[in-house]
Amino acid sequence: MPGVEEYVRLAQERGGKWVAHGDTVHLVVDPSDLRPIADKIFNEYGASFRTCVGTDERPLNNHFSITHLFTDDRSGLYIALKSYLDPENPVAPSIADVVPAADWCELEAWDMLGIRFEGRRLERLVLPYWWPEGVHPLRKEFDYKSRPDVSLARSERVALRKEVGTVPLGPYHPALHEPEYFELYVKGERVVDVRYRGFHVHRGIEKLAESRMNYQQVNFLAERICGICGFEHSTCYALAVEKAAGVDVPERAQFIRSIVLEVERLHSHLLLLGVAFHLLGYDAGFMHMWRVRERTMVLAEMLTGSRKTYGINLVGGVRRDINEEKKSKVLSELGGLVKDFKRVVEIAVSAPNVKRRLTGTGILPKEDARRLGVEGPVARASGIDKDARRDLPYAAYKYASFRVPVYTEGDNMARVLVRVEEVFESVSIIEQLLDKLPKGPIMAEKVEIPPGRVGVQVVEAPRGGDIHYVLTGDGRPYRWRVRAPTYANIPALKVMLRDQRLADAPITIASIDPCFSCTDRVVVVRDDGVVERLEVGASW
Amino acid sequence: MVRVLKPVELIVVASEKGRVTVKYPYQEPLVTSDFRGAIRIDASKCIGCGACVKACPPNALELLESPDRLVIRYFVGRCIFCWRCVDVCPVKAVVGTREFELATDRVEDLFNYTVHRRAECRECGSGFATRRMVEYVTEKSAVSEYYANECPECRKAKVLKAAARRRGGV
Repeated sequence: MPGVEEYVRLAQERGGKWVAHGDTVHLVVDPSDLRPIADKIFNEYGASFRTCVGTDERPLNNHFSITHLFTDDRSGLYIALKSYLDPENPVAPSIADVVPAADWCELEAWDMLGIRFEGRRLERLVLPYWWPEGVHPLRKEFDYKSRPDVSLARSERVALRKEVGTVPLGPYHPALHEPEYFELYVKGERVVDVRYRGFHVHRGIEKLAESRMNYQQVNFLAERICGICGFEHSTCYALAVEKAAGVDVPERAQFIRSIVLEVERLHSHLLLLGVAFHLLGYDAGFMHMWRVRERTMVLAEMLTGSRKTYGINLVGGVRRDINEEKKSKVLSELGGLVKDFKRVVEIAVSAPNVKRRLTGTGILPKEDARRLGVEGPVARASGIDKDARRDLPYAAYKYASFRVPVYTEGDNMARVLVRVEEVFESVSIIEQLLDKLPKGPIMAEKVEIPPGRVGVQVVEAPRGGDIHYVLTGDGRPYRWRVRAPTYANIPALKVMLRDQRLADAPITIASIDPCFSCTDRVVVVRDDGVVERLEVGASW
Repeated sequence: MVRVLKPVELIVVASEKGRVTVKYPYQEPLVTSDFRGAIRIDASKCIGCGACVKACPPNALELLESPDRLVIRYFVGRCIFCWRCVDVCPVKAVVGTREFELATDRVEDLFNYTVHRRAECRECGSGFATRRMVEYVTEKSAVSEYYANECPECRKAKVLKAAARRRGGV
């Protein structure tokens, strides 16, 4: 098992610099060494690749930089592999061929910062196709209020293929009501290829935080990254800043964070289970699952003041305490909830239409799962035993004992069952933590955040690991990078959907519990393959 | 029960649980006592210090300034109901409510204005801060009374003058 020394040696051997600080090993190497070192960390040491971060550091040190973030889940280490790039012509070697999981984040760094990656195809991923060339919004000279001149092309051609049929699935998922667009190429009933287009609704949240907000305000912005697992994001952000600044957070605050995180996991898993049953035409199961879910929503409101977007995280602690009365209320409610859930879910997964359509569909083999760096229940259903709550303990998880369910089948059923088991584990975690809840303050006395520090944090959201990277600046983050788990899971859909029946596509897509962001435009496909875009709502 | 018949058990669950849908708005809405809704600013307590404006993440609270007036504008359309303003208000003028039925067909209803008059500088007569703020500071510390009625500019000028006099070795 590689430890700090092994990682440090990687940089030393090649004349790079290194700093080991807390649980994070920072390696700074020459760009030409990025690829071999990343190869070794990912393929030999078996670390998980989480994301890469491009940063415009020209105002600080006249360089661009690229940082690849890995986590070694066995030794609980974060590895930040960084290279400084030329300020005029930032070029880095691509690591996507040895670390396939880095495919999207490199494209994103190209879109947002204009960092060119050698040895791979470069195409638009995040920015819309009509965005002007050479305008990179995360560069510091780009003002967050500026709107580039764009001429909107009104239509675009779908890539029709002669030998196969094309089925556009989207812009809304049939059940999730979120913007997504899949082009499924089918031969008869079988899907032969998939093309995904996303990022229709990129909201520029990172830019907003780096330009306008202060440290405490970003918590509330982070919470709005996702409508379902928002609290994970705000916790992740707060923990990353606290790690960077060395803020001493009271234990009680960390316990409350963990408890609320688990309440959020409960409602998220119950939501997905309901959606899955709905997609399979088992609406009775869906209704009852959501009836049980409503109890968790009331719990959340009682603990935080809001059903969703709880708004109780700050850098340095939390804003709402759990008193004795609430504690006993939560405990009694959980008891009834878990009984109710157990009964309903046992009935639901034994329903023949549910069982047959989940079993053996949408298979993701373990090797593909590792290669693509999938997260959360998707990884655990494919035999990858990773869970940041256990491997990279944060908040108060080290005080709770829980099991991480792992299945090896890799099909839709496995992904559903992982979540079912996690619901029971979450309930047990909440009970344990409430029982051990220490006394004391819930907010750090002093929160000072010096500029130029780096904090990296992974938080296990219901869908998998969120990762936040914060480079502190003057009064606000200088660079804040967020990667949500669906970002890592969508590329795996290509594997899951291929050679499946078309009818199973919606449930397979839903089985990763995807979280596309909100607001959208409508796409109409005419017979001749011309796509018309109807802009809905305010456009610039 | 026989395995094949297991799915039928849902009928038992359904009949036990009965109807859970609430006939809102004809029935009480499902909000608990801990619910965070819109805020209200008590104009009789507010001193116009702007702490809430600084803390507000979505800019729902804004400061509109003119030489003789200072206005705190609350636009509920932007509000995310986080109650940070409630936390930071030094005089407890911002109060959280459980109101959430805020839809209206008149956009003006979404705005709330708290208007403050500026304090007048004893020296130059120009407006600064707010009258309430000066009162608040004076109340907190008796010694500040002498300075509190002067605008920051005049105060600065006075200090510099005094420093110059001292250096002059009078």
